[in-house]
Amino acid sequence: MLNKRLIGAAFGAAALFAAGTADAQAPARQRFDYWYGLTGQLGERMAEHCARFNASQTRFEAVCVGQGGYDRAEQNTIAAYRARQHPTIVQIYDAGTVNFMLSGVTYNAVTFARDFNMNINWADYFPGVASYYATSRGEMWSFPYNSSTAMLYWNRQAFGSIGRTEAPATWEQLERDMRALRAAGHACPMAIDFDIWQFEQLSAIHNQPIATQNNGYSGLNAELLFNRGFLPSHIANMKRWYDEGLMRIQTAQTGKTLVQAFADGSCALTITSIANHGVVGSTAARGMEWGVAMLPVYEGTARQNSLVGGASLWVMQGKSRGEYEAAAAFLDWIATPDEVRWMPSVTGYIPITTPAFNAMTAAGFYRQPQYEGREISIQSLTFTPPSANSRGIRLGNYTSIRSELQSELQAAFTGQKPVQQALDDAVARGNQILRRFEQTMRGRELP
Amino acid sequence: MVERTPILNILTHAILLIGLVMLLLPLWIVFVASTHDFRTVNTVPMPLWPGTHMVENYIATWNQSDFGPKMLNSLIMAVGVTVGKITIAALSAYSIVYFRYRFRMVFFWLIFITLMLPLEVRIVPTYAVAANALRPYQEIINLTGLSIVLPEWRLLNSYAGLILPLIATATGTFLYRQFFLTVPEELLEAAKMDGTGPLRFFWDILLPLSKTNMAALATIMFVYAWNQYLWPLLVITDPNYGTAVMQLQRIVPGPNFGEPPRWHTAMAGTLMVMLPPLLVVIFMQRWFVRGLISQDK
Amino acid sequence: MSGKRVTFNQRWLAGLLILPQLLLIFTFFYWPTGEALFWAFTLEPPFGGEMQWVGWQNFTTVFEDPLFWNSVRRSIVFGVASTAIAMGIGLLLALFVDRQLPGYKGFRFVYFWPYAVAAPAVGLAFRFIFAPDAGFVSAINQWFPNLWNPALDGVDAMILIILANAWSMVAYNFIFFLAGLQSIPRSLIEAGAMDGSGVLRRMRDIQLPLMAPTVFFLIVINITDSFVNAFGIVDITTGGGPARATDLMVFKIFADGFKGKDYSLAAAQSIVLMLLVCALTFVQFRYVERRIHYT
Repeated sequence: MLNKRLIGAAFGAAALFAAGTADAQAPARQRFDYWYGLTGQLGERMAEHCARFNASQTRFEAVCVGQGGYDRAEQNTIAAYRARQHPTIVQIYDAGTVNFMLSGVTYNAVTFARDFNMNINWADYFPGVASYYATSRGEMWSFPYNSSTAMLYWNRQAFGSIGRTEAPATWEQLERDMRALRAAGHACPMAIDFDIWQFEQLSAIHNQPIATQNNGYSGLNAELLFNRGFLPSHIANMKRWYDEGLMRIQTAQTGKTLVQAFADGSCALTITSIANHGVVGSTAARGMEWGVAMLPVYEGTARQNSLVGGASLWVMQGKSRGEYEAAAAFLDWIATPDEVRWMPSVTGYIPITTPAFNAMTAAGFYRQPQYEGREISIQSLTFTPPSANSRGIRLGNYTSIRSELQSELQAAFTGQKPVQQALDDAVARGNQILRRFEQTMRGRELP
Repeated sequence: MVERTPILNILTHAILLIGLVMLLLPLWIVFVASTHDFRTVNTVPMPLWPGTHMVENYIATWNQSDFGPKMLNSLIMAVGVTVGKITIAALSAYSIVYFRYRFRMVFFWLIFITLMLPLEVRIVPTYAVAANALRPYQEIINLTGLSIVLPEWRLLNSYAGLILPLIATATGTFLYRQFFLTVPEELLEAAKMDGTGPLRFFWDILLPLSKTNMAALATIMFVYAWNQYLWPLLVITDPNYGTAVMQLQRIVPGPNFGEPPRWHTAMAGTLMVMLPPLLVVIFMQRWFVRGLISQDK
Repeated sequence: MSGKRVTFNQRWLAGLLILPQLLLIFTFFYWPTGEALFWAFTLEPPFGGEMQWVGWQNFTTVFEDPLFWNSVRRSIVFGVASTAIAMGIGLLLALFVDRQLPGYKGFRFVYFWPYAVAAPAVGLAFRFIFAPDAGFVSAINQWFPNLWNPALDGVDAMILIILANAWSMVAYNFIFFLAGLQSIPRSLIEAGAMDGSGVLRRMRDIQLPLMAPTVFFLIVINITDSFVNAFGIVDITTGGGPARATDLMVFKIFADGFKGKDYSLAAAQSIVLMLLVCALTFVQFRYVERRIHYT
């Protein structure tokens, strides 16, 4: 084993030497692999970001590969790691954080930044962004990248037709407005789907837990709480509104996602990520006036900060020093104020550091019509300091739990079972997933 | 043969026409969708007549998805799978049908069972093997206690990695076996009487007879290989080896991002990706139908 | 089921001829499958590392899970229905094309086309066409609101994926049925005509019985392909929903294993699936092929 490594190193050195002599004028750039999950328009922005990095300097080269979806990026990284063909950096969505934290194959961000003398000031990140990717002791293990939070999108013209100039701030107002919209002849007051993210967000802003053990931060033995307290009553409300025709389900399967149904003006309200702000802007029906607002809370609730969504960048173990240096240069570069500003200017994602946000505000970024309203997402994200219920979610194989919940909600909304029973069933299955995860990870502890 | 069956003839044409509409309508809708702009495609009801944005959609999709090199990669992969598959299937089916030896049926079943378990369900282990195709043999050597170290044969990001695992299925072998079983016994008896050896019998008599099957199998394999998307997506991470169908998947946004699907360019891409296998199907069809008809007339 | 009466006896050559195929399937099929079998008895951490031997735990988890049996039932419905439709239509079109009335070449020419379309593309096209809010079928909902909604109605969703799969398989079946029909000597049919039997009668009494080997071959291929295609189609059209109405086995295995990162549970299910399909095919081979005469 040792011998093999030595021989490998010798070959590597020889190859480097050969490369150096053969191309003395233009030394070969040090490459590193970076895999991202975003697709479509957002995927093109990712590729552009890499191209900008490669054009910005001559020492390093990022080889960026879109993997065709967040889930595929995670799956492919796992498979590639098993074959030791993994990338140096990979973009992993919020819900995959635990799997990577416990994998034992990542190079945690804090240590990496120290080892490679990066200029990251960890205190710059918005607390809500930092807490999602930090260990229970507060050390960040991945680099925040494209970040977002959930917003209420509302059609100003539709609201104008019922004499309103403000978005509803509470669910009670929202119900009243939906009824008014319906009465005024709007066929679809609000578009909904079964994306579980919105319920996580609502639990956070209502300061409600979704799992024991501080949403999982304190241990792998956490159990789900989706079926108690706030969520069952909220989902029962949604079901009631849906049955009354105040809400309509819009998913890719129905032919129009809720973003599309909102953008073409057919639905007056929806809840989706601020990341879609740019998409709505570029695809909205001509002349449509619309805005975004913070998610509504129920009356009598003290609003908490909302959760960060999106993805962060993980550094993987087992790469060469040269690749790590190149990766460090890239990570440093994307954290420079210019680049932190670039991302929100070409997508709907938010600036992730306080200084960048302040500089952008000062420069009048949010007064430009196409970006107007996006600052509300920062207000939502930083509304209060994160509490145990609003700092994030730390549950193993969380994407599977989401899909269990999603299936059960579909069953509830199509009338196959009552909401409470659907949630009970989803929690029972979700807890099974957590127990299997706990058993598989026996001997490992959450950092 | 002259028969007068006017009612039946009308019925025949009616059935054939209905079949035509059923089979073509989806393709037509795909085509129509690829000729409109974003907003028109998403209106209800969608127009059923082509629009005016065809050329710009196609050019945009072609450039955006870098289809030139991707198509070339798809072609290399498809031809590799086709040639490899036909060769291996013909040889192994010949061995199973025309020779009698102890493990013949065991081998047949070993090969046949591979029809059952699609690549999708064993993709992780297959992927691990593709990282080093010699690993199984290395582990067997290790078991025997010999200290021979085989070199590593990495298939990731290579044409071999795209092609070899796709050849390891039984479709062709099965097809060839079915065909060989229908070849009259007298042929071999006569050949043996003439003293023809097994290789000559295979090359001079069986292969020419099996042209039709070969054409059919080539068509099947080309289409099968060209249309693969899950396996290339896993085994290729270097864009230089990317295939056309992989690209297609990327111009349709996933459900994660709430982004509306850009159906017009996605459908343009679908049509472009469809075209090469379609041409093969069209071309091979003429060829192998001629072969079929000339047999018995 | 047997080979030839007369055979060659150079065993070394027989071995040599079959060797490449055996090496390939060993490397890319049996070895990986063996590895999957091993995983089915362990708990395999996603990134590797020390695994635990858990005996039959994964299998008991699978068998006690009502959702597993749900996916078995759905897969059978999907496989049988789409095979029946695709083979029925394929055979019908082939029989009538084979009558060679004027214009038949044009039909034959076009019937081949859908075969060239990739499963994900079929899925996309059908998702677009059958979407309740957009596309082609949405018009139905304007007359009868909520009559058709595969996003919410499990039966509609199942119909959608069956149609998509059947559509993509019709061409394949047509090709093979037509090839089979055209290999029937014309003299046989002419003899039938001379005996005074009509076109439909000849189809039933002469052509159909002679198609038995083709039918057998196609049943095997269609059923197994329904398992393979299922993934591409379900993944793109319904994602297994709504409420698991289209949660077919291959899709569930992929979802549990890759999306859910539970390789061991997925491995146990794929072993069960493999045994199920093997049993099915074995039955077909034993009892169906035995009754078919090759001539």
